[in-house]
Amino acid sequence: MSPETAPPLIAAQLNYLLSHFPLVVKIENKWSGSKYYPGILDRFTLVISYCLDVIKWDIIFDAESPMAAPDVIFGPDDENFQQFLVLRGEEEGDTKSPKNFLNDWNSRDATQLMLLVQELRDQYMSFQKKRVAEVDDDRLKFEISTIVAREGIEMHMSSGVDKPEEVKFSVPLLDMNINKMVPGCPWKHKQKIYLQVIYPVEKKYVSTPSAPRLKLVSTTELKSIFSIDDVKLPTWLNGMCMAEYLPHLEESLENQVLEAVSLIDVRRRFIEALALQFGRPLEADPVFCRKATFLAASGVFTFLVHVLISTQFPKQQPELMLQSSQHFNSQGAPIKSLFLTEYPWSPRWEIPLMAERICDYLTDEALNFKRYCNEPQLQH
Amino acid sequence: MEDPSIDKVAISGPALASMIQRFSTSQGSVDGLIFGHVSHIAPTLTDDSPNSTSSATLIATITGFFLFRFPQAQAQSPSAHLLGWFSGRRKTHLRPSLREFSVSNALSSNPNLTFPIQNPSEGPSNPNLVPSLFLLFASPITDQTIHTHEYRAYHFRASKHSFEPKSIQIVNIGPAFRAQYDNFSPNSPFPNLPFELRVSPMIVDRGEESLDQLRQVNKDQSELDMCSEGLEVGSLSRLMGSEAANYTTGVEDLYEKMLVKIESLTTLVEKSSAKVLEQENLNRKLRYKAARSAALE
Repeated sequence: MSPETAPPLIAAQLNYLLSHFPLVVKIENKWSGSKYYPGILDRFTLVISYCLDVIKWDIIFDAESPMAAPDVIFGPDDENFQQFLVLRGEEEGDTKSPKNFLNDWNSRDATQLMLLVQELRDQYMSFQKKRVAEVDDDRLKFEISTIVAREGIEMHMSSGVDKPEEVKFSVPLLDMNINKMVPGCPWKHKQKIYLQVIYPVEKKYVSTPSAPRLKLVSTTELKSIFSIDDVKLPTWLNGMCMAEYLPHLEESLENQVLEAVSLIDVRRRFIEALALQFGRPLEADPVFCRKATFLAASGVFTFLVHVLISTQFPKQQPELMLQSSQHFNSQGAPIKSLFLTEYPWSPRWEIPLMAERICDYLTDEALNFKRYCNEPQLQH
Repeated sequence: MEDPSIDKVAISGPALASMIQRFSTSQGSVDGLIFGHVSHIAPTLTDDSPNSTSSATLIATITGFFLFRFPQAQAQSPSAHLLGWFSGRRKTHLRPSLREFSVSNALSSNPNLTFPIQNPSEGPSNPNLVPSLFLLFASPITDQTIHTHEYRAYHFRASKHSFEPKSIQIVNIGPAFRAQYDNFSPNSPFPNLPFELRVSPMIVDRGEESLDQLRQVNKDQSELDMCSEGLEVGSLSRLMGSEAANYTTGVEDLYEKMLVKIESLTTLVEKSSAKVLEQENLNRKLRYKAARSAALE
């Protein structure tokens, strides 16, 4: 048997989970609990996104009986989660309870593990909601009552021996499907922007509650069209509550996202304008239009021009990089220039003019680059 | 219902070693039942601390165990109760899992499994106990040469639905052991048998009744055969009554026959264990085969 593989039935469950889980899930660690076949992997640490953070659960299969249901070991901070699960299962007699999944485990159905993890995560969400609701803090109780109806809100209560008690919210913003706004969008997961709000749990005697810590977080792939770091959060005024704060934020954010989406088209037109100067690009990013590569020549010297366009284009000029087609360094890699950002530019120019000016600039720069390429050879 | 808190868990060194041995030699994970009893241990009397006398500690003593793989879990002597269960899983974190929580929860809420405290304290409240002990065995996730096994004891509090970690006291034979000697002695009671058999010639003639008698003798004999080998019920009378003069030889005879019995039981266990192992290996092969063919479908 080849080393380091999961038994086929277990592998099928995992593969299905990784490819079909609606949220981000990863396998962080896999190892074997088998005495005689240390290459057969049957223990896995799953990392599941939750409340803009992750939860790590160990899924324990048994290579000795691959048809049996797995067992789950939760994180050390979530001791009471099992209690919550079992009690809730007893109360409701729910057919969807994780216990039933494990009792009626059918190893031939590859969807089972995914359904189990999904159900457990849902239950975990209710568990955290219950914990947060038990916190004795008036402001928090008020905040929860006003925003709990928001769809997709997640919360997490963090407490520990040497950590201050905090309640963390992840509030999904903007009720729009960004994926649909981007033509030809390749994203597997739905792109979202969240506001992370962290409330310190206040002691009873504190008269003025301190402002919560706020941070915008977006799904990683959204960075190709919109950088969350460029957004300036409105200030949180004293005595404010989330229900007051969110509408303003959402409004400004919505405009920014719409602008970011419209900028894709501006970048596309820019690349098309460059094509008029340089000819058809060798390579171009067709969806987000963030980069394009052209072939150029100055006399007999041929080189590639890489154009990297930021999401702030046209406010920010594109970065250019030249790559020789004829010169190689001692490792055999083509010689490249540094990023060129210092060249004449005005965001107020018409797009064809921008392309023209870049072309003009490169006509001169090509000579410098050619000289630079020939330098190492002169040294020999 | 408030369930009493168990303060301590005691286990003899050999019993614990044997559990670890079963765990480390098994092919996969192991589960098993734990037997023993719960008793009060009177607090040591000290003049200095007046409040230490207030409550006796409740100690759970583990006297035996066996793996789930062998059925007939009910074959236990009345002095050893089902205290709880244990789980051993290789290369996992030493924290109760979802399954372990559910099993403990189910076990402790089964009303048919309650048992009393062995030596109830004087007082109005002597609640019955439920099988709520849980012993967890694991081995470190990364291989380690010296530290190969970990274990932890928990008391599952049915009223709170949660595990409480408990310290395990490993009791080995030595000066400290004396006070607990009784706790670990095997408590297999000798069957209650008649010492005298009135098989007089007069009764033999009466057909029907003698048949009953014979049946009774056979029953008694088979009960005695559980404890000794080759000893007749009739000879038990030598321990009582007029023949008691030969008491010593009688007891010696009984003891010898009991040893013979134990020896024959050992051989039997050895043979059946070999068969079980053989069958297990066969099952294992079949399981692999089934899993492979299921995956191919």
